[in-house]
Amino acid sequence: MTHETEKLDTTDIPVVDQVDADVVPQRPDRAEGVISRRVALGLVVALILLFPVIAIPVFSSYAYVMQIGMLTLMWISMSSSWNIIGGFAGYISLGHGVFYAIGGYSAGLALAHWGISPFLFLPVAGLAAMAVGLLAGLITLRTRGPAFIVATIAMLFLFLLWFDNWEFIGASSGLDLPLVDIPVRWLKVPFYYAMALSAIGAVYLSYRIAHSKFGLGLRAISEDETKAEVAGINTRWYKVIAFSLSAYFIGTAGAVYGYSLTHLRPLTFFAIAVAARMVLMSIIGGRGTVAGPVVGAILIVGVNEFSVRQFGQTELNIVVTGAILVAALLFFPQGIVGSLRKSGRLPAFLDWD
Amino acid sequence: MNWVQLLVLGLLLGSVYAMMASGLTLLFGVMRVVNLAHAAFILIASYITYLLFENLTLDPIVSLVITMPLMFGLGVIIYLVLFPRIEGSARYVEMTVLLTFGLALVVEGLLTFVFTGTFRSVRPDYVSTSIHVGDIFIPSNQLYASAVSFALLIGLWVLLRFTKTGTAIRATMQNRGAAQIVGVNVRRISAFAFGTGMALAGAAGSLLSFLFPFFPGKHWQWIALLLSLIVLGGMGSIKGAVIGALLLAIASAVVTDTFGPTWSPITFYLTLFLILLVRPQGLFGAKLRL
Amino acid sequence: MALLEIEDVVAGYGAGPDILTGVTLSIDEGTSYCIVGPNGAGKSTLLRTIAGILKPRAGEVRLDGTRMNGSRPDQMLAAGVCFVPQDASLFPTMTVRENLVMGGYLLGDRVLKRQRLEMVFETFPALADRKSQNAGTLSGGEQQMVTLGRSLMVEPKVVMIDEPSLGLAPMIADQIFEKIGGFRELGITVVLVEQNAVKGLESVDWGFVLDLGSKEFEGPADGILADPRIRELYLGKQLAPRERR
Repeated sequence: MTHETEKLDTTDIPVVDQVDADVVPQRPDRAEGVISRRVALGLVVALILLFPVIAIPVFSSYAYVMQIGMLTLMWISMSSSWNIIGGFAGYISLGHGVFYAIGGYSAGLALAHWGISPFLFLPVAGLAAMAVGLLAGLITLRTRGPAFIVATIAMLFLFLLWFDNWEFIGASSGLDLPLVDIPVRWLKVPFYYAMALSAIGAVYLSYRIAHSKFGLGLRAISEDETKAEVAGINTRWYKVIAFSLSAYFIGTAGAVYGYSLTHLRPLTFFAIAVAARMVLMSIIGGRGTVAGPVVGAILIVGVNEFSVRQFGQTELNIVVTGAILVAALLFFPQGIVGSLRKSGRLPAFLDWD
Repeated sequence: MNWVQLLVLGLLLGSVYAMMASGLTLLFGVMRVVNLAHAAFILIASYITYLLFENLTLDPIVSLVITMPLMFGLGVIIYLVLFPRIEGSARYVEMTVLLTFGLALVVEGLLTFVFTGTFRSVRPDYVSTSIHVGDIFIPSNQLYASAVSFALLIGLWVLLRFTKTGTAIRATMQNRGAAQIVGVNVRRISAFAFGTGMALAGAAGSLLSFLFPFFPGKHWQWIALLLSLIVLGGMGSIKGAVIGALLLAIASAVVTDTFGPTWSPITFYLTLFLILLVRPQGLFGAKLRL
Repeated sequence: MALLEIEDVVAGYGAGPDILTGVTLSIDEGTSYCIVGPNGAGKSTLLRTIAGILKPRAGEVRLDGTRMNGSRPDQMLAAGVCFVPQDASLFPTMTVRENLVMGGYLLGDRVLKRQRLEMVFETFPALADRKSQNAGTLSGGEQQMVTLGRSLMVEPKVVMIDEPSLGLAPMIADQIFEKIGGFRELGITVVLVEQNAVKGLESVDWGFVLDLGSKEFEGPADGILADPRIRELYLGKQLAPRERR
């Protein structure tokens, strides 16, 4: 009888325990896996850093190759950052274009007004994006679920309207930046390295969060926010900080990309398609995983390049983006990394969390 | 401009907004679908109206007879193809947002591909005439669009209030599980409701085509506007959506008059933002957690 | 032949695990039943599966010998199986009368609808006084009466009631059980799921004990109540207060 009572009692108070049980990924300890993962990550970083040298033989289209490399790194930076709030915490933001713009414009203004090179200004551009993210997060994160998504869209349009009409930054006609004084062939290389820094930083941040108590808390929020609250997680600040952190490397990516364009226009940064791509890459790669957004970014940049070559620079590219998003949600909601992990076929070099 | 004039203009446009928003809120009420593609579908109807006017000089108001059933059919198909698949998924409402976001991109891209990004407008004779009552003027196109919208809203009310299907729709909005239990075929009712919401989008598209110039990317402005209306009214409440639409239309008329037309959209975004801040559940709909 | 036969039914939610792992039981016309068992035994899941809200993953549900697997809830209702879920599932901003009329949604005949409505008001006089009030404003007991009354609108063969006493004060719960007892005189077979096993079993003829997704035991209700082993194993905790009395 006493045994029975005990059993019944424990079923009544599982709330605290269950959160942890639900959230901690059940993974056998594999020392080998950790080592091969380290080696794999080291190789990837080395490959990224040496890529401009390796690519030298492709002399005729070197600038193009560097441009694609830079874009891939930019999207890795963006989708990995977005994934911190959108994947780990499960708060889908369609407004992250704002941080992209804050990064781009703050670095652009620093160059145009004080002559500071955006490459040096990079950390500050990230901080600016993060500060705006903190404020925006404090407001938008009062809502949950679909209301949050709608709030982030409203945020995007509010900022767009403001930037479009703000004369100091050139309003809708934009802001011109001086060119970097480097021979055209090598022009893309510094941008490439700056973007590599941003991408590596973003993935490292994402990795560190995924492996921290903070990341655990975010996952608990994503699973069941009420339970997470009961378990003693300060959900409000967890979310706001995650939102703010997710802005940092989107800001730095915006700073580098804006400089590479030498002309900043609000719509370049605020276009809804930009936000759409971050979401799409994360989902198709695997929302809430560290490797997922990276895989998604590489894949989507590839698909995009292919469709641009196939159909030309037309609006069909946006159709492809939308159609892939719909198809992914319907048939593949866990994404590549998520599905592979579920079926136990995820190669160790992609198992980053 | 004097206040009576602003009020009249606001109310005229407001009833068109109300009709648009009631379609969107119907979708949310019945199926918990936050349809980010609603305005994109409205634009499809605008372009169909444009084609009919350019090629057959069909009056845009008459073309409602074509756009409404067409969009109804499209709605039923979209519902049946897409939504049963995600029904019962853990984060269903969020899924609907992302799914319809993807749809909106597809529609926008296709429209741009077919019609290019240039501004279009449908210009029947009545876009350039107006009626004067005392010292206030009423543009004919706004008057007609408002009258049609009003008639459609009455029609929607009659449908929901006095028909068996309408009763089933209302029952499903209030409690889907209970509706199922008393024998409502909720999937068929949902398909019908989706079609109805889309038919209203079709009507809205035809009416907007002669009120404002349009281009494929414009649907983002419209959807932000519509969402702010239905959030103000409390999502899923048709009455709320109508009141929200009238209030915001008047507010936007005042903002336009005071600060110029550039700032008119800010009324909607700011309202949306502020309401989500203060009362995430909207002004009237207390029962739904969004 | 039994009215309703459940054979080796396996069911669960979404992509989740099997909640019912193979339930077999049969329901005869004119007898009343109560399904008891610990939390998570699958009692509600069983009712939801029979009602057509959940599709069985395996096994068969037969009504009058006809296989009903994969029928929608509205088809099950039309066939005479009515489900009363546990949360007093009403239309909150419709009046009591409108809620009851919705119960007759499948009836085509207006006259019949009106007759049945009157019959329901006779059975539940308390509801007649409140017929123009919004259902959302009623007390828990009154809401439960509306759902019970609503189930009578279609004159079902079987009414399956999930936890009618949930969240109700004991006195109100007694009233509800009394009403349910009256269903038998209307020629309706009642299948009850009750957390309060004693009360549930006391008000029916036959009991099923469900645990871990399958039937562990069945027998006359008073027999189950009297069997010390079953009481200890499956009903132990709930019976304790009563024993002391």
